[in-house]
Amino acid sequence: MRAVNPQAQGTTYPDVEFVVDPSRVAAFRSVFGQEAGIPPTFLTAAEFTVLPRVIDDPRLDLDFSRVLHGSQEFELARPLREGETLVVRARIDSIKVRAGTAFVVIAMELFDDGGELVARTRSTMMEREA
Amino acid sequence: MTRPFEGISVGEELPHLRRVVSPDDVRAYAEAGGDRNPLHLDDAFARGAGFDGVIAHGMFTMGHMAACVVAWAEDPAAVTAISANFRATVPMGQEIVAGGRVRALDPETNTATLELWVSSERGGETDWPIKRGEATVRLD
Repeated sequence: MRAVNPQAQGTTYPDVEFVVDPSRVAAFRSVFGQEAGIPPTFLTAAEFTVLPRVIDDPRLDLDFSRVLHGSQEFELARPLREGETLVVRARIDSIKVRAGTAFVVIAMELFDDGGELVARTRSTMMEREA
Repeated sequence: MTRPFEGISVGEELPHLRRVVSPDDVRAYAEAGGDRNPLHLDDAFARGAGFDGVIAHGMFTMGHMAACVVAWAEDPAAVTAISANFRATVPMGQEIVAGGRVRALDPETNTATLELWVSSERGGETDWPIKRGEATVRLD
């Protein structure tokens, strides 16, 4: 039996840019039947600029075929603006194993071009026992 | 225009938002959200992972929950925080229902704290894809 490597807790990943692309916002809005604005969970698109790097991190050794999304938190210091470019900074906040399931918490911070914090996200990935 | 803070009371229920989840919805979500995990797109892969077929993204269910909040707040920018724990998976063709109520009000900041949920009926049983969701909404 294998599980994720708990030593990967605290890993930070290189900053990645995320553009709040109006056409992508429109596509996201249309999935949820919204007419205007940026849906609050659009922040997930920013997370997915970095998540592939986490998922493929050989040191973490996650088996993505056994991963389910456990929980998700978003916090916005201000609304996102269409067209702006944000910097996404990700780290593995914690790794815990309970009853064969590994809980990997990935925390991200998003900054604007003035260096101001715009949003925080926390995702818990659950890797189920093989 | 954001909904006015005045007139909202603790315990007020948010109107339910219902939706039947289709493979097209989930494919559209995968593109827009950037999560192309085959668990949500490839039936054979999903069966190999122990499901009857593809399941909706947790973030699809949470996006639906957020849509319920946005409809009530009348402004997506009013939502300053939102969170969810995913408790049950959602197969294709399943109806999901989002709802919630006002748990607390802060008149100093015109902020409402909402408790939220997403339920689904399956074979006479109620599942809770999201049992304890929460959002903070800044009203006018």
